[in-house]
Amino acid sequence: MDPRESFTIAARSIRSHKLRSALTVIGVVIGIASVVAFATFGASVESEIVGSISDSGANNVYVLGQPADEEGFEQALQPVFTEYDIARLSEIPGVEAVIPRGSIPANSVTHRGETVSIQGATATTPAAVTNETLVAGRSFRSGADETVLNRAAAETTFEGNVTVGDEITVRRTDETWNLTVVGVVNGTAGELPVGNFGPQPQFYVPADPYYQAVVESPGANARQRAYPQLTVVAVPAETLAVTERVETYLREESDARHLAPSGVDLVARTSGDFAEQISDVIQQITRFVTGIAVIALVVGAIGIANIMLVSVTERTREIGIMKAVGARNRDVMELFLLEATLLGAVGAVLGLPLGLAVGWAATRYAEVGFAFAPYWSALAVLVGVLVGVVAGLYPAWRAARVDPIDALRYE
Amino acid sequence: MGQADADDVVTLTDVRKTYDLGGTVQALGGVSLSLPRGSYTAVMGPSGSGKSTLLNLVGGLDTPSEGRVTVGGRDLSTATEAERAAIRGSRVGFVFQTFNLMPRLTAVENVAMPLVFDGWDRSRRRERARELLSEVGLGNRLDHKPTELSGGQRQRVAIARALAPDPELILADEPTGNVDTETGERIMGLLGDLHADGHTILLVTHERRIAERAERIVHVRDGVVERTEELID
Ligand SMILES: Nc1ncnc2c1ncn2[C@@H]1O[C@H](COP(=O)(O)OP(=O)(O)OP(=O)(O)O)[C@@H](O)[C@H]1O
Ligand SMILES: [Mg+2]
Repeated sequence: MDPRESFTIAARSIRSHKLRSALTVIGVVIGIASVVAFATFGASVESEIVGSISDSGANNVYVLGQPADEEGFEQALQPVFTEYDIARLSEIPGVEAVIPRGSIPANSVTHRGETVSIQGATATTPAAVTNETLVAGRSFRSGADETVLNRAAAETTFEGNVTVGDEITVRRTDETWNLTVVGVVNGTAGELPVGNFGPQPQFYVPADPYYQAVVESPGANARQRAYPQLTVVAVPAETLAVTERVETYLREESDARHLAPSGVDLVARTSGDFAEQISDVIQQITRFVTGIAVIALVVGAIGIANIMLVSVTERTREIGIMKAVGARNRDVMELFLLEATLLGAVGAVLGLPLGLAVGWAATRYAEVGFAFAPYWSALAVLVGVLVGVVAGLYPAWRAARVDPIDALRYE
Repeated sequence: MGQADADDVVTLTDVRKTYDLGGTVQALGGVSLSLPRGSYTAVMGPSGSGKSTLLNLVGGLDTPSEGRVTVGGRDLSTATEAERAAIRGSRVGFVFQTFNLMPRLTAVENVAMPLVFDGWDRSRRRERARELLSEVGLGNRLDHKPTELSGGQRQRVAIARALAPDPELILADEPTGNVDTETGERIMGLLGDLHADGHTILLVTHERRIAERAERIVHVRDGVVERTEELID
């Protein structure tokens, strides 16, 4: 039949039960909005994190132990990369520097009589502090009682700012270090890209003499410092090749392959790899949460099906009349299906902006940039329409099968 | 009676209709009848004798349990659902005792509805509906909903609707049953005019006075034709 007339009739029947239709549409709106909101928020977080990873050291190759399964997480943090490994890695063609990193547990730091508790200090080599990262001062020297602070530590940890030349005291369980602040940095070279969000106060100290994790190096046949993580800084153009060479070394010649506990894989990752891994994880979470939101959508669909069944029953007589004046089963089917689809479509069209607004508010709250997810938004509208169609199928089929004789007798 | 004539709009051949409700209820028990083109036939009989059943079978609203119903030469028992719908929509106009108008549609929209399913375009539908409503004297009630009309006015809308696709056959089931005598007269006058215009009319009534407007009266009792009375006028 004339599509415009079908539309008019369907729209009129929706309008004639305003409250009922509105409540049904709200069900779909909530479903679509939650799907869109979660998907948008997920996409925003993903692009924020991936963006900030890609910004940092594209030519860094991060060498670390990775647990083969969840259990091995603690073991993966064990110091397995020895100074022998560092020396060998530095010789690989295309490698500019190898920066080790290890953490030293500490209890507190005192500056001008003010003491704050800390998790620990980070041990690394002077090469970690480069001209690009320095805000003030210079890098520490190996073997000296010197420290470099990041801006969070220098500016927000103590009442007064810590400036170059100040003395700080680090207390550990069994010893106390008096250190001279020689530099303030904004991040360090070779820092793992995942640590960049919401900068924590960091106190960098020279591994020599403060880092004391020592193991027996099979390669050097001597006791040496060993670190849980290294960053190989590659010549930019050779980052990929270097990554492969580093992996080969780790697999075939390194001390670490002997020292790593079973269940830990030694890997070399670029920041691109990290970005990929993290976006995989976020996408999985987003899919899962969005999947839960889909339940709301299913409830919305049930609402449509329910109201359409009521409508078919109420309008049995009208269906009979339409059939008596020439409506075919498929005309009746079409009308009811269109009505259900309209409910779904209106829900989708209203739910989309609401979902985007909620998603946007969530990104403001979480302080990440808003990323529109066009794929999800288009899908949401499509799904809304589809929800209407699917929810309307059975009621419409029931309507089409109404026997005109029974219907006209129906009071 | 019964044998197909090229000029019969409707023929029924030994038509039976039974309803199965645990036991079987026989509504029609072998009815043969033909309606020549342009004829005016009244069906009379006591309540429950099968008059409405007969009318619904002729109009393709219902299907016989046995026997053949042809409308305009087309055998309804072999017609598909869509074909029967098309016959209902274009060759037959129904007028019911209870009017059966769409409550949410205006008079014009009600009258235009058969034309929607018959594939007319919008402006022609409206034009035709206005024309017909004026003909039945409702030119000033075009945009009223059924609830805003009196019983007689509603029945006139229903007649206009039955006429919309210009059907050859008008089926009226107690069209005066729900209106007062005066309005009933007016309705019967309209049917008389339609007959004069050449429409074939099948009218169901239990009032002798109404039935006498027709050319012949088919008396039905317990689902069978008791006798056919030709009226000379
Ligand atoms: N859907 C149905 N199911 C069962 N029995 C039915 C059905 N429709 C009609 N009947 C039966 O068929 C018989 C004829 O019914 P019908 O409606 O044709 O009578 P009628 O002559 O039109 O009566 P009235 O003058 O009261 O309108 C009745 O006995 C009725 O009970
Ligand atoms: Mg009856």
